[in-house]
Amino acid sequence: MARFVLRRIAFMLITFWVVISVAFLLLRLAPGGPFDGDRRMPPEVEANLLNAYNLDEPLYIQYGRYVWDLLRFDLGPSIKHHDFTVSELIAAGLPVSLTVGALALVIALVLGVPIGSIAAFRHNSWLDNCLSSSTTFGLALPPIVTGPLFVLLFAVMLQWLPAGGMDSASSLILPSIALAIPHAAAIAKLMRGSCIDTLGQNHILTARSKGLNSVRLAIHHVLPSAMIPVLSFLGPAAATLIAGSLVIEEVFSLPGLGRYFVQGALNRDYTLVMGGVVVYAGLILLLNFVVDTLYFRFDPRIRSQKQSEAL
Amino acid sequence: MIQLRRFQGTCQGSTAALLCMLLASSILANELSSLRIGSPGDPQTLDPHRYTLNLEEHILKDMFLGLTTMDAKGAIVPGSAASWDVSSDGLVWTFHLRDNAWSDGAPVRAEDFVFSFQRLLNPETAAPLAFFLYGIENAREINGGKVEPTELGVSALDTQTLEIRLEQPFPYFAERLFYPTGYPVPQHVIEKHGSDWIKPQNWVSNGPYSLSDWKPQQAVELQRNPHFFDLENVRIDSVKYVPVADALAGYHRFLADELDIVGDFPAGEIESLRESRPDSLRLSSLLSTMYLVFNVTEPPFDDVRVRRALALAIDRDKLTQKVLRSDEIGNASMVPPMVPGYKSVVETNSPDLALARSLLKQAGYTEEEPLKVTLRYFTGSESKQVHVAIAAMWQEIGVQASLHHTELKVHFSDLHSGDFEVAQAGWFGENNPEHYIELLWSQIGSNNYGRYQSAEFDALLEQAKNTVGQKAREKLLQQAESVALNEFPVIPLYSVTVRNLVNPRVGGWYTNPRNSHGVRYMTLK
Repeated sequence: MARFVLRRIAFMLITFWVVISVAFLLLRLAPGGPFDGDRRMPPEVEANLLNAYNLDEPLYIQYGRYVWDLLRFDLGPSIKHHDFTVSELIAAGLPVSLTVGALALVIALVLGVPIGSIAAFRHNSWLDNCLSSSTTFGLALPPIVTGPLFVLLFAVMLQWLPAGGMDSASSLILPSIALAIPHAAAIAKLMRGSCIDTLGQNHILTARSKGLNSVRLAIHHVLPSAMIPVLSFLGPAAATLIAGSLVIEEVFSLPGLGRYFVQGALNRDYTLVMGGVVVYAGLILLLNFVVDTLYFRFDPRIRSQKQSEAL
Repeated sequence: MIQLRRFQGTCQGSTAALLCMLLASSILANELSSLRIGSPGDPQTLDPHRYTLNLEEHILKDMFLGLTTMDAKGAIVPGSAASWDVSSDGLVWTFHLRDNAWSDGAPVRAEDFVFSFQRLLNPETAAPLAFFLYGIENAREINGGKVEPTELGVSALDTQTLEIRLEQPFPYFAERLFYPTGYPVPQHVIEKHGSDWIKPQNWVSNGPYSLSDWKPQQAVELQRNPHFFDLENVRIDSVKYVPVADALAGYHRFLADELDIVGDFPAGEIESLRESRPDSLRLSSLLSTMYLVFNVTEPPFDDVRVRRALALAIDRDKLTQKVLRSDEIGNASMVPPMVPGYKSVVETNSPDLALARSLLKQAGYTEEEPLKVTLRYFTGSESKQVHVAIAAMWQEIGVQASLHHTELKVHFSDLHSGDFEVAQAGWFGENNPEHYIELLWSQIGSNNYGRYQSAEFDALLEQAKNTVGQKAREKLLQQAESVALNEFPVIPLYSVTVRNLVNPRVGGWYTNPRNSHGVRYMTLK
């Protein structure tokens, strides 16, 4: 177990290094620099600006400096947001992104699991047809479509909830729901398929034939085993939710990390974009690591596979 | 809560009920004196010497007061200086400061301005727009690190008198000073807190408002500066600038009554707003010129006949009235039509397709071998509409234009490096003709995107730059513009319209060609 974890950590660190190096290089390769615009600045001004952010040094020195600073957890000053460091901006934005992502995940589970299970238990009935077609519809509704529609309906017309910004907790309701819908649909589909599989298995048929009532059957026998594929879906889904909040933050003007990331890329704010890459890559790698480790711990098939690899 | 219960307990009988109502209405009135303005993004800095964005300029103008400032209708008026004199050679400007104080109560002195101008031009400040004040004696040399900042041509004659010496006469200097680059910054605070002077807890400024809070991506909040010289006329207690992610988000928040003013909304909504909210809709022309620029250094646009032919094929009225439809003003001059006192002598060049075809023929292009060009523009729905329409107009004279669009930064990076044939360009800003005409000067560097060169134009422009009297200067500028535009290095198209939505509760908000609206002049009903 310890050897497996150590190997995974080493692999994770190498991946992380590759990701930040490629991102660093790609950013510099993108045409247009942080100080480019319709108006070319006089050479004196350009020299002062490049000097202030060490951008006049050779690329390998800039890279070395970046990695060295990163090892000391220093993400540097933002090139565009002069009054803040990248760490300050991330500290302000990340909690918002994480909250929206986590809320969306909870909503997706709360909606998806029951819908999928009910559809499976009423397999091939009119209810199943209704629920299955709504989940297919839900899958086809990305937040960029539902977001503005929700704003129009609940904020502009009904005026129940805020149209944007982050003035109170109610500001999080519409974005979380818009972000959750496709994930709820995916979970419902997964849950339905997995429940139907489980329902056909021998031990369930036996339990049924012994006259166990449906509620007990569902809670004690079907759901626990049907949930496994859903749980394994949650790792990557959590990562997509955090990264996916990018769009929702634009639509709802939420002060999250995603907006910095998008604007940073457009502004060629090298340090801010790198900060975003560090955070997103770190989170995604970490989530994958947790899922992998849990798999290794709980699924004997993977353990034996790894052991035979080791031999 | 306990107090509230006790208070509720006393609210018995009609007198108490009346009192409650009065209290409620006064609370409501207090809330109303806070203005919420949608800003098209988050400011990148609130240091006036490091600012670059228009949206930052809007916020900063409520917190600082330069030597000159703008009134509610956009005219340049005295600011921190109550008056000024200009020497007969136009080189020495003497400003007489009024009694005003920083938001911490310290008096604003002429020495504060000396410190601020030196700080702006000090290379260590790395001010992106330091060049706005390169007209001051030694400014450019200081910014390039060749001369000490103390050598700058700005001195305090006494605590209330400031002298600024220019290298060349510049009659528009009063206008140039009203930008944040000309704002004073508090020396006593900067020396105490260093770069942290910008944090809300340390903030000190000399304008009608001061910074009370700044949460990135959430809001910049200002409160009235109790030491401002004209405090009695500043009606609104606090201002909240709220960044909105895009025009649609801002529009929705305005409709949901979460914002009182928004500076942009989708153009497609204009017609419905004319019906539903005519008292909120404010369209106005901005000091700006949108134009097409030719790369005159390479074929096919090194040939003036080809450039003229393409210019003659464009119907500006069609572009503004049928394509853009937001009250844009078509314009054949590089100088926006709202610049006061300047009358362009450039011909309007109304479309003449027959002449255009014959010019192309003379240049050697036929139906079998048509002119093929790439028209570049930057990504955006409005620029797409305009340039698709232009390509169609050129098609009518047999020109095959392929469209190529890139993101804004890439677009201008290509223009600066001369990597284009014909491209979209635009210039915004000042209320004087020189600002626009000098874009065709061979000495201005790559801002003359098409690398146009004309000895006659240069001579006239340089002569104008050395002329003191504004009238004589503008006459020379007129001649220079006419010389250049007869060679069609650019095709001026139109001045853009800015689309504001202003809640009818807000008074004192006037459309103006700078689209600059000081909150100190506004009221809330």
